[in-house]
Amino acid sequence: MAPAKTDTNWSVDYDTLRRERLFRHPPNDRTAYPSLSDAIKPHIDSFNALFDGSKILEAGLKDIGTKTFLDGEVETPDQKRARQAEGRKVPRRNKLNVRIKEVFLEKPQIPPTNKFTTRNREIYPSECRERHATYRGKLRAKIEYQVNNGDWKDSIRELGQVPIMMRTNRCHLEKATPEQLVDHKEESEELGGYFIVNGNEKLIRMLIVGKRNFPMAIIRGSFVKRGHTYTKFGVQIRSVRPDQTSQTNVLHYLSDGNVTFRFSWRKNEFLVPAMMILKALVETNDREIYEGIVGNASSEGINNTFVTDRVELLLRTYKGYNVHTRSTCRAFLGEKFKPVLGVPADMSDEDAGTEFLRRIVLPHLGNSNVTETQDYDKFKMIMYMIRKLYALVAGDCAPDNPDAVSNQEVLLGGFLYGMILKERMEEWVRSLAPILRDWSNRNHGAKFTDPAFDRDFLGKIVKRSNENLGGALEYFLSTGNLVSPTGLDLQQTSGYTVMAEKINFYRFISHFRMIHRGSFFAQLKTTTVRKLLPESWGFLCPVHTPDGSPCGLLNHLAHKCLISTSDMDVSHLPSLLVQLGVRSESSVSLDESVPVQLDGRIIGYCSPKQARVVADTLRYWKVMGIHDVPTELEIGYIPNSSGGQYPGIYMFSQAARMYRPVKYLLLDRIDYVGPFEQPFMEIACLPQDLLPGVSTHIEFTPTNILSIVANMTPFSDYNQSPRNMYQCQMSKQTMGTPGTAINYRTDNKLYRIQTGQTPIVRSPLYNAYGLDNFPNGTNAVVAIISYTGYDMDDAMIINKSSHERGFGHGTVYKTKIHALDDKDSRRTKSRREVSKLFGFAPGGEIKAEWRATLDEDGLPHIGARVTEGSLVAAWHSVRFDPATDSYVNVDGITRFVKYKDSEEGYIDSIRIMGAETGVEPCQSISVKYRVPRKPVIGDKFSSRHGQKGVCSQLWPAVDMPFSESGIQPDLIINPHAFPSRMTIAQMIESMAGKAGALHGHPQDCTPFQFSEENTATDYFGEQLRKAGYNYFGNEPLYSGITGKEFAADIFIGVVHYQRLRHMVNDKFQVRTTGPVNSLTGQPVKGRAKGGGIRVGEMERDSLIAHGAAFLLQDRLMNCSDSQRAWICRDCGSFLSTQVAVSSAGSKGRNFDSAAMAAAKALSGPNQPTQSGAAGGAAGIVRCRRCAHEAVFADSRAIVWEDGEGHRFVGGDNVTVVAVPGVLRYLDVELAAMGIRMKFWVDN
Amino acid sequence: MSREAYQVPSLGGGNAFSADGGATSTEGGPAVAYLCGECNARVSLKRGDQIRCKECGHRVLYKERTKRMVQFEAR
Repeated sequence: MAPAKTDTNWSVDYDTLRRERLFRHPPNDRTAYPSLSDAIKPHIDSFNALFDGSKILEAGLKDIGTKTFLDGEVETPDQKRARQAEGRKVPRRNKLNVRIKEVFLEKPQIPPTNKFTTRNREIYPSECRERHATYRGKLRAKIEYQVNNGDWKDSIRELGQVPIMMRTNRCHLEKATPEQLVDHKEESEELGGYFIVNGNEKLIRMLIVGKRNFPMAIIRGSFVKRGHTYTKFGVQIRSVRPDQTSQTNVLHYLSDGNVTFRFSWRKNEFLVPAMMILKALVETNDREIYEGIVGNASSEGINNTFVTDRVELLLRTYKGYNVHTRSTCRAFLGEKFKPVLGVPADMSDEDAGTEFLRRIVLPHLGNSNVTETQDYDKFKMIMYMIRKLYALVAGDCAPDNPDAVSNQEVLLGGFLYGMILKERMEEWVRSLAPILRDWSNRNHGAKFTDPAFDRDFLGKIVKRSNENLGGALEYFLSTGNLVSPTGLDLQQTSGYTVMAEKINFYRFISHFRMIHRGSFFAQLKTTTVRKLLPESWGFLCPVHTPDGSPCGLLNHLAHKCLISTSDMDVSHLPSLLVQLGVRSESSVSLDESVPVQLDGRIIGYCSPKQARVVADTLRYWKVMGIHDVPTELEIGYIPNSSGGQYPGIYMFSQAARMYRPVKYLLLDRIDYVGPFEQPFMEIACLPQDLLPGVSTHIEFTPTNILSIVANMTPFSDYNQSPRNMYQCQMSKQTMGTPGTAINYRTDNKLYRIQTGQTPIVRSPLYNAYGLDNFPNGTNAVVAIISYTGYDMDDAMIINKSSHERGFGHGTVYKTKIHALDDKDSRRTKSRREVSKLFGFAPGGEIKAEWRATLDEDGLPHIGARVTEGSLVAAWHSVRFDPATDSYVNVDGITRFVKYKDSEEGYIDSIRIMGAETGVEPCQSISVKYRVPRKPVIGDKFSSRHGQKGVCSQLWPAVDMPFSESGIQPDLIINPHAFPSRMTIAQMIESMAGKAGALHGHPQDCTPFQFSEENTATDYFGEQLRKAGYNYFGNEPLYSGITGKEFAADIFIGVVHYQRLRHMVNDKFQVRTTGPVNSLTGQPVKGRAKGGGIRVGEMERDSLIAHGAAFLLQDRLMNCSDSQRAWICRDCGSFLSTQVAVSSAGSKGRNFDSAAMAAAKALSGPNQPTQSGAAGGAAGIVRCRRCAHEAVFADSRAIVWEDGEGHRFVGGDNVTVVAVPGVLRYLDVELAAMGIRMKFWVDN
Repeated sequence: MSREAYQVPSLGGGNAFSADGGATSTEGGPAVAYLCGECNARVSLKRGDQIRCKECGHRVLYKERTKRMVQFEAR
C-alpha cells in the first residue's frame, strides 16, 4: 500500500509531534499547508497563463499582427502632381511583412559560454539570491518575414533574459515537493509568486482596475472639460482583449443630446461621433439604429420622448458628415486615424478603418479576424451603451460607483507582465522601420527586392534593433516604473512593484494578498475612494489596511477571496439563455425589456419578470453543476428599481475577477459569488440572520471576511476596531521568524527572534496556514498593575530574570556586499577589467593586528567579532600580466574594507560570488553579519491587540510581585492602557492563555464564537476555576519589595507578546559636535551621518516660553553655527572688516606673513574655524569702508596697510561679535544682490 | 593560554604570521579552502583564481568556519 498522503487537515491543537515530523522529514508528495499556497495562487497562475493554459502571449502576438514596411520614398505633393501630369502610374513600393510567430521562454540556465559546469546547468533561485543576481530565463521569438508576396522566411531571435516568477511553469521548482524545495535551499513551504531581481525578492502588486467589459454609467465633473457642450454624463467600458490588455471606450453625452465616442490611443485622446462608429461597424440604416435604441414601433419605448427626441437628433446631426454606407464610414475613419494607428502607408482607407474598429472599438467583442457577427455584437453593445447613457441623463438609472468593488477587478502581476512583454515586442517590430530606412539610405536607396536585403536583414537590420527585451522587464521589476508609449490603459507610471520583505512571515504573506487602488488616488484630495464600502464584504478585509496615508487605498484580500486567472468555457451559455426565453428584440423601456449580457456581449433581452427567473434558474444550474454552467460564473442579476442601478443580467466568466465561496441554501452546496452580484443577493452571515423565503445563501463562517493576518488577532470581535487595525500593522513589524532557510538568505536586513513560541491562544487558521513554522512571539505572564511607576504611559517592565532567560532576545542579520569593482563601470564597460583583488598584497608586509579578523585570503574568518572600524576585507590593486597569465601587484600596498556600523556584530557567513561565466576572479564578497539584539530599555513590544509599549526597566526578579503559587510576571503593564482603548480581547486572551497553560491545551480564539448568552469570560473563568484559580483571573499578589499582599487582587494571565523591530539601537540620535554642512556651518541632518535633530520653530517657542534662554543659546548657537566675527561698529558691516598690516616696522619682512593672514581672514565667511575672528597675526582688524586713504600728513602710528600695500587711516572702531554663521552668509548673499545689511552693535 | 599567545594551527606547517613576502608572491598567495554552495566539496583557491567549484562548477562558495579559537568575553 502506498503511504498515506500528507495530511492537510489542521485543528487548533499544538500537533507538536506532527509538526516535528513534518519539519524533520519534509513531505515528498505535497505540502501540508495547501491554504498557504492557495493564498498566492493568483500571482503564479497569472504568470502561468502567459505561456500555458490560456496562452495570453499568443493572443498578444495575434493582436500585434503583421507589420508592413515599405521601401522607397514617400512622394511629395509636387512629385505627385508632376507624375499625374505625365500620366505615369504610382511607383510601386516593395513591401516587407514582419510578424512574430511565437515566443519561447526558457527556464533559467547558465550561458553556453560557461564550459565548466557539466552536470547541472540549471540555475536555481537560491543561487540567484546568494549571488545577488536575477532569476531569469532566455526569451526567444520566432519572427517571420516576407518581401512582397514571396515566401515567409523565419528566424529565431534572442530577446535577452527576462525575470521569471518563482514556482511558475518557467521555474525549475514549479512542482517541487517540500522535500525537493528543502534540497534546493528553499523553505519547505516556499510559495513563490515573486521575482528575484538583483538578489531582491520583488513582486508585482495587485492593482484595482475597473471591471472589464461592463459599461459603467459615470457622472464626473471633469467630463465637462472635454470640450464645448460636453456634460458630466458618460458611459465607460474597459474593454479587455484576449491578451489582457485593455482599451477604455467612453460615450459622452453632449448638452444638445448628441453622443460622442472617446478613446485614448498612445496617450492621446480622440473623439468620434458615436453614430459614425455605429455606421462603420455594420451596414445599417437610420431605422435600424433608431429601433435598436428606442425599440420597434409596437414597443413601449416609442413613448419615451426623452430618448426618441435625442435619437432623432443623433441621426439628424450625423447627416452633416454626409458619409452613410459602411464602407464610406470606414474609409472616413481610416483616413483620419491612419497616421496614429501605424498601419502601412499603402493600406486603403477602408481597411484602415476596419483596423481601427478591430483594435479600438470594443476589442473584447472581436480582436482578431473580426467576423460580421462580432461587428454586429459591437454595434449592439454601443447601442446599449447609448441607451444606458440616456437613462443616466434622464435619471432613470443611478450612476455606477467606480470606487465600489462591484465595479472593479484585479490587475494581476502576471498579466501586467504579459502586457509589458507584448508591448515591448510590438515596439521592437515597429522599431525596425527607421533602421530599414537607414539601411536603404546607406546602400544608395536599396530596395527590399535587392539580394543584399536578404543577406542584411537579419544580420544587419534586425541586429541593430534593440533586442534586449529582458532588460526592459528587469528595469520594470527592479524600479516598478512603467515605461510605455501606450500607457497600457493604466493610470500610473510607477509603483507597480514592491519588495517582498521577509521581516516576518505575516509581512511576507501580506504582500501577496495586498491590493492597491493605484497611486493616482493617493494624491486625491477627496477621501471617497478610501471609504470602506459594504460592497467589499467578503472580498477585501475591513480590518487589514494601514493607517495613515495609504489607508483605504492599500487593502488586503479576505482570506477566502479567490481571483480567477483564466477564462471559463461559456460558449454554450447563449443557446442556453435563448432556451430560457431571452430574445433579441428590445426596447428602451426597462419595464418591457432588460438586457442579458455575458462578458460584455449582449445575448439578448427579456422582460424583468423573466430576468429573475433566468437568473434563479442559472444559479440553480450552476450550483447543481448541470447544463455545464460553471460554478465560478458570476450571474449579476440587477432587479428593476426606480432610479437604481441599470437593471439586467450581467454574467462574467473571465479572468481577474474576485470571487468567494458561500453556501447555497437550496442545495446546501458551495456556490461562488462575485462582487458584482453580491449586493443584489441575500446572503445571511449567521444562522440567526436567515430570512425565510428571502435568504438564498449563508456564509460558511463570519471570519471569512477577514484577511489572514486579521484572523490571527485573538477574539478580535471584542476589541475596539481601530485596535485590530493597529494589530494588523504591528504584527507585520514584529521581529519574528522569516523562515527556516535563513542560512541561504542574503536580505539586507533580516530579523529573527530567538525564543519564538506557538501562542497558547490561537485560532485553527493559525495551524492551517502553518504559522508555527514561523513563530512570531512569546507567551508571557503579564500582570496588569501599576507597580513602580516605570509602567506609566504604555511603558512596560520586564522581569530581569525573564530577560536573562532569553525573553524577547533577537538577532539582526545584515548582509553587505563588498565589491571591488565600482558600481558604475559594471554597466558601462562591456568587458570589465580586473584592477583589484582581495587578499594581502603579495610582497607587502602583513601586520599581526590585521590578522585579528582577517584570514590568509584577506577575508575575515567566520565568527570574528567586528566593531566599528574593524577590517573586514583586504585588497590590493593589480594589473593583468598577459606574459604570465596572472595578476601582478606593483605597489605592495594592502588596503582594507572596514566595518562601518557603530554596533558590534559577528561575521556569520561569507559568500564568494563568481560570475555566471565561471571565469572571473573574486570581485565581490557578500558578508553576512550577525548582530545580537537582546531587549534593552527603549525597545518596543506589543501584545496582539494593538497595545504597544516600550520597555522601561529590567526589574530585578526579587523585587517583582509574586503570586500565591509563586508565579512572577514576565511583564508588567499599566491598567491605564485599557479604559480608553477598550481592548477587551487582550483580557480575554490573558484569561484564556492562563487557563490553557494550566490545563495544557491550546485555546481557540476564533472571533464571533461567543455571545451575550455564552460569554467568553464565563467559558475561560470556569476553566480557571477548575484549575483552582480565581474565576475572574485575578490573584492576590505580594509586593516584591515589602512582601506585603496588595490591597487589590491583580489581574494576571498569559498573553502572547511580540517584539517589534523598532529598537532604540537603530534609532538613538545624539550629538554635541559632529559633521556640519559646508555651506551654512550648521549640523547636517540624518542619523546615519551623525547629524542632529532639528530644534524647530515650535521647539524654540516652547523654550522661550519656559525662559530657558541658556538652553536655547546652546542649541541654536553653540551646538550649531556659532561664529566669532569682526564687525564695524560705525558702518555695521561684517563684510568691510579686514585684517590690517601694521605699517610700522620694516615693510618687506612683514609683508608676506601679513598677506597670508589677510588671505586667511578673508578666506570665507563659511569657515567654521575661528580664523575670521582671530584678526591675523598682527591682530589688527580695520574697517575698509570707514577708512580713508592715508595722506602724507597722517601720523605713522595710525596708518594701516592692507595686504596689497595700500595705506589707510581710520576704520578702527571694529569689534568681535558672536553670530550664527548663516547670518554672515545671508549678508554675503544679500550683498551680491546689492542689498546692504547694517547691524547696530551695542556695548 | 591567552588569546594572543594562541597560534593558528595550520595544515601546511609554518604559522600564518610567518608568511614571508617573497614566498607568497611567487606562488600567487596562499591557497585557502572554501566550501561549494552546491555539492559541499572543498575547493582550494588562490589569489586571482576563477571562482567556481572544481567539482560541479557552482558559482557560490562559502568560507569555512575558522579553525582559530574564537573566544569572547561573555557579558
